Amino acid sequence: MKKINTVLGAFTIMLLVVACSDDFIDVPSKNENSEEFFNSQEDYEEALIGAYDLLQSTYLNVMLGEIASDNTLAGGESATDVPGIQQVDDMIHGTTNEQLRAIWGWMFAGVNRANYILEYQDKTDFSGKDNIIGQAKFLRAYYYFELVKWFGDVPLAVDKRIKFGEQFTVERTPKAQVYAQIEADLIAAAAALPATQSVVGQATKGAAQSLLGKVYIYQDKFNEAAPVLASAISGPYALVIDYASIFEHAGENGTESVFEVQYTDVEGAGFECLQCSEGNVAVGFNGIRQYDGPTFDSGFSFNVPTQEVVDSFEAGDIRKDVAILDIDAWNTENGSSSGEGYEHTGYFNRKYIARKGDLNTGDQNLTNPNNYRAIRLADVLLLAAEANNRKTPANDAQALVYLNQVRQRAGLSALTVTGPDLRQAIAQERRVELVGEGHRFFDLVRTGAASREIDGFVAGKHEVFPIPQVEIELAGSRWAQNPGY
Amino acid sequence: MKTRVKEFFTVALFFVSSIMLAQQDISGTVVEQDTGGGLPGVTIVISGTNKGTTTDFDGNFTISANKGDLLIVSYIGFDTQQITIGDETSISIQLAEGQNKLNEIVVTGYGTQIKKEVTGAVAVIGAESIEKLNPVRIEQALQGQVAGVNITSASGAPGAASNIRIRGVATNGDNRPLILVDGNVIEDLAVINPRDIESVNVLKDASAGIYGVRASNGVILITTKGGRRNMPLKIELNTYTGVQNAAKQIGVLNATEYGFIINESQVAAGNNAPFTSLNALGKGTNWQKQVFQQAIISDTNLTATGGTEKSNYSFGLGYLDQDGIVGGEKSNYNRIAARGNYTLDLLNNLQLKSTAIYTRSNQDRLPENGIGSVLFNALNMNPTLPIVDSNGAYTLAEGLGAEVINPVAQLENNYNTSQINKISATLGLEYTFLNDFSIQSRFQYNHANVKSDIFKPVVNYGSGKVFNIDRNELIENSDNFQDYTWDTFLTYEKSISNHNIKVLLGQSIFKTYGTFESYTGFDLPSNVYGESSLADATEIVDNQEQNKERGANTFDVRLLSHFSRVQYNYKGKYLLSAVVRRDGSTRFGPNNRFGIFPSGSVGWLVSDEDFFTNNNVINFLKFRASYGIIGNDRIGDYRYVSTLAGEATYVSNEERVFGKAEGALSNPEIKWEEQVTSNIGLDANLFNDAVNLSIDYFVRKTKDLLLSAQVSGILGASAPGSSAPTVNAGDIENKGLEFLIGYQGNITRDLKMNVSYNFATLQNKVLFVASENGFEQGGGFGIGLEPPSRMAAGEPIGFFYGFETDGVFQNQAEVNAGPTTDIAPSVGDLRYIDQDDDGDVDLDDRVNIGDPIPDITMGLNLGFNYKNIDFSSSAFASIGNEIVRNYERNQPFVNRRSAVLDRWIGPNSSNENPRVSAGANPNGLFSDYYVEDGSYVRIQNIQIGYTFPDEVLNSMNIKKLRIYGSVNNVHTFTKYSGYDPSASSGDPIGGGIDQGFYPVPRTFMVGLNLTF
Repeated sequence: MKKINTVLGAFTIMLLVVACSDDFIDVPSKNENSEEFFNSQEDYEEALIGAYDLLQSTYLNVMLGEIASDNTLAGGESATDVPGIQQVDDMIHGTTNEQLRAIWGWMFAGVNRANYILEYQDKTDFSGKDNIIGQAKFLRAYYYFELVKWFGDVPLAVDKRIKFGEQFTVERTPKAQVYAQIEADLIAAAAALPATQSVVGQATKGAAQSLLGKVYIYQDKFNEAAPVLASAISGPYALVIDYASIFEHAGENGTESVFEVQYTDVEGAGFECLQCSEGNVAVGFNGIRQYDGPTFDSGFSFNVPTQEVVDSFEAGDIRKDVAILDIDAWNTENGSSSGEGYEHTGYFNRKYIARKGDLNTGDQNLTNPNNYRAIRLADVLLLAAEANNRKTPANDAQALVYLNQVRQRAGLSALTVTGPDLRQAIAQERRVELVGEGHRFFDLVRTGAASREIDGFVAGKHEVFPIPQVEIELAGSRWAQNPGY
Repeated sequence: MKTRVKEFFTVALFFVSSIMLAQQDISGTVVEQDTGGGLPGVTIVISGTNKGTTTDFDGNFTISANKGDLLIVSYIGFDTQQITIGDETSISIQLAEGQNKLNEIVVTGYGTQIKKEVTGAVAVIGAESIEKLNPVRIEQALQGQVAGVNITSASGAPGAASNIRIRGVATNGDNRPLILVDGNVIEDLAVINPRDIESVNVLKDASAGIYGVRASNGVILITTKGGRRNMPLKIELNTYTGVQNAAKQIGVLNATEYGFIINESQVAAGNNAPFTSLNALGKGTNWQKQVFQQAIISDTNLTATGGTEKSNYSFGLGYLDQDGIVGGEKSNYNRIAARGNYTLDLLNNLQLKSTAIYTRSNQDRLPENGIGSVLFNALNMNPTLPIVDSNGAYTLAEGLGAEVINPVAQLENNYNTSQINKISATLGLEYTFLNDFSIQSRFQYNHANVKSDIFKPVVNYGSGKVFNIDRNELIENSDNFQDYTWDTFLTYEKSISNHNIKVLLGQSIFKTYGTFESYTGFDLPSNVYGESSLADATEIVDNQEQNKERGANTFDVRLLSHFSRVQYNYKGKYLLSAVVRRDGSTRFGPNNRFGIFPSGSVGWLVSDEDFFTNNNVINFLKFRASYGIIGNDRIGDYRYVSTLAGEATYVSNEERVFGKAEGALSNPEIKWEEQVTSNIGLDANLFNDAVNLSIDYFVRKTKDLLLSAQVSGILGASAPGSSAPTVNAGDIENKGLEFLIGYQGNITRDLKMNVSYNFATLQNKVLFVASENGFEQGGGFGIGLEPPSRMAAGEPIGFFYGFETDGVFQNQAEVNAGPTTDIAPSVGDLRYIDQDDDGDVDLDDRVNIGDPIPDITMGLNLGFNYKNIDFSSSAFASIGNEIVRNYERNQPFVNRRSAVLDRWIGPNSSNENPRVSAGANPNGLFSDYYVEDGSYVRIQNIQIGYTFPDEVLNSMNIKKLRIYGSVNNVHTFTKYSGYDPSASSGDPIGGGIDQGFYPVPRTFMVGLNLTF
């Protein structure tokens, strides 16, 4: 009998064990399921922050766009320092280029995060939702505008994310169709967004209108551009009197700022995930090589201005010394010292080089807090001037009003030219007003002047960059490469 | 009732009822063959049953058995004997000290087998071999001992882990074998003191299948030392102390040579020569000499073992203290390990087994094997610079790029220490009932707390250096890892006439969980390490803040498994084993959560056949074959569901704002990766067991490989905190031949000798990669260049993909005739081969230029005993593995390898090393110029010991006293120009790339073994 009991005891143990059923391994994730989100206003706000996050990665678009132009050279330490940047500078970039692939991936990441919100835009209602949806549309337009500028035709996704598996079927959408979506998004955003936001850095009505105007101009739709840019200019903006102050820390989010990408120096960063940095990575890359002295911090001496762009400033233009740092003169004046990198020109991109006074959280080259002034009123005024000069019929008088506001702030005399001369003057003004801010290459491309101004630029090829070969392969090797590559 | 229960088991286990035979009581004595003294605690078991007994203090026993039953008499350290019961009622048994490995007990998972009956590919290493090799870590004892096991070290730094690869690389993910210590899962062998180990069993083939999930890379079973029943207390003291040094320095230029080469390269680029007076430069600073040093190692262990009639125990305590050969105490490792092992018979048929290990280790770490590591800096630092400048401050490494810094200053400012407190404990009950049944329930638990403390003082290494610190920081992490395994299994064992059967039914649950804490304090009041604590910091950041809000600074991974095994043999001659296991893992979605994995093996003891008796040459011969499927779930957590684990951080008003975004892309379809293993082999003993031989041939195929494949950028996987999805997308095959031969015997009366040799071939081939572009890539070469290692169909996993060179352009005519490259070559540059003959060298011209997987590995072990002197040595060879030299920073003013002295300087000067030029040149592309043959032969260990004769010791009440001297990592014969050809990160894709590995030290030691 005793034995029977022990056997029963053994059975009990076995049964207890078997009772540990399959549920044991059913453990939900602590992180929320992305498809069960958007249940409150807070959820939408949190997802929106995710969509803004990728704006910080546009440092590369700005830096590489400037280097691609005739304003600056690649620089860096040596001829082999970041080959992808060197190739774009020399217009010898091919279908394998780490930086171009980064732009491709990061901009689509931004598109997908904006689309994540728009995919669920109808799920939960609350007051103030229009503002959030408007911002999501603005961001989708912002990222798509970057994509069409860089790559031409790109896969277009509207109000849905491109999901794993769909990369094999999605086609490159013609650029015109992508532009149509960008316009629609910006029109909707301009209607939904307030003139000012309580949260610094969020997109406003003026930002949407300004970007829309720019998008029109990129398509030579000057008649559509002029009124929307005029509306933007009538917004709560004013040119900052002291041009030099715009690019200093105190000048961030100032009266001239229409849209600004926000950065901070409080969080560390590393090379393994540059898009994760909360700082402006381009600033450290642009910085003075081996600098020891006041005001500035060292950097990697990329993106160095050419003598030609320095010479393009008119005499008496106060912007020259703000945009261009003549390092030899500076060192003499301040007793500082610096080194020479590859393609040393003696000049640095003063608007966006590292400054002393920030926290220098490591790696200090990657965590500079300088905001990128993505859309400034001066830019909008010059776009409006161009729209008025080139629309049908032209309104050169209005164009001159816009242009001369910018010139006079720069300490230059008002112009009175008209017609093609005015068009040329506006283009020249854009160059010197916006040097170092990443606009020049795309301005040259859209006006057809690139092959004349940029060494190595081949018309019919270099207007857009190649889609990285690996990206074509990863999408099932179906897409045709851009012409010439 | 009794019969009904029994019937239930019989039916459940598919068994025929047994026939009870008349039993008789047998009494006997077991004595030691050499001395004739009675042996206490010897186990006597009737084969095929759980019936057994142990001898008493004088070696006597009684057991009731049937005529024809087979008694198995076993005792640790002695050869097991099998005795068939005849008509006698009393027997005398003589046991001889372990020579015959055939009767060794082999742990095969939820049970043991005698080696003779094992049908899988299993290797055993005993305490004796471990003692001879005297390893600091137990992995080092596996290298060269077991055919098909390859150990590479990610670092030779004290406390650093090794990579263990059993039969090649079968997956692109985690290739670590499952390691069990006394049945308890141990991830890091650092916690185990090698001196505490009784035996190591390595399961190489499908016989690992009983362990199911996680066993697909093989299983290493470690048994710690235990006492014996009725054993008087034995105290052992083992201690050694030694000095370690670097076996090699890499030849780099001295200051004068450096000046000369820099001048030449600058002039070649059209610049002025920077050094005007070369003679004044002298030899300059030998930076390697500044960072390498002699370092002390010492280890002391105390072990107590013993047993009573109903229990046995073993306790151990050890302390290891090891300085590093780089930075000395800046890479110190020390470890206290305490261990206990206790077995108690609670009842006649109820036994309790428990083990506990406590380890406390402290490790100081240096930056290693990467750009900016200490050795990388020592190799690249400008030799014309002094260590300190005229003000006594460390010289700034100006002009050497953003990454190269003064390595001496770096050592000075490096404070990175971690402490691990770990408890591993097991508790098990075994209950035997109804003669043939036993049930065991075991609970195994591990708890580790890992605290790390990193201080970064304010330091300036030179302008623009990425390692400069403007705000000092103190980072404190505290991570808790816990896991438990609960195994319960029922065993039925029965012999009916010549049919022997053993059936196992069981369940295992496993859960691993933990939490992470991490804080960074900025701007501490003191810039001296240890003077300020985290609380003093001006700003404290909780690095886990975001995760904590979601409760995601934790993890919880579980497994649930059911298994059954049937082992059957007829007359111990025809052997069969079959396993079915059902594994479930939290890592897969609801539809694919469970996998069913069968395996089986057969064996034939040819030498037991009648036709084989009286064979004078072969006295034992067994053929084996096994086949099985094992599942693998080692991927990230929650890859089947899309979660908001991404990074969503933006800035407003200078403050960070946090949101939510998708993490890694999800793939709901992911399922178990399967490994199909086949093995055929034979074991043979020749010439009266003097020679033993094993041959195995295996094929391991991995199907539905789980990999995180590159995906199209349009999916958004490059967003912060996101990554590519995990997919089942590849097949890999590993196959090879393993051969082992050993001899042991007496040459003369006083001279004993043992020698063993093994080799293993390995052929690794990726059969298929389903990623869209047909390959996966990994590893790093240079800065900003494409990853050099790939996984692609038809090639070994992790092969190096780059340009093939054909010497150096000797003259302009050759340049003109040669293919063009993006950067046009000049005379003296490397000539790349235009593989597709299209006139230019572009990315299409890259080919396989080597792989880090050795084709053949070999081990040789040799030992002599002459009277009281013993000698042992072991060597290991790895043939056919390539290694990428990536410790040169491609920058105009860094130092160079001395190979540059044999560079091209004019027609026909060198066809190997290109010219030097600071200008643009194509020589930095990843090519076979940077890939070297990493084959090597290493004399791993030489040891000479002297054991004091008993006459001397008896008077001092000492049982054994042995002193020895030994050298580990004696010498490495290799053509490789770097520090250590055995170094590898162990990554399946990206291994074998040397960025200045911390080399394994050469160690000279003296020690003693003392037993009371």
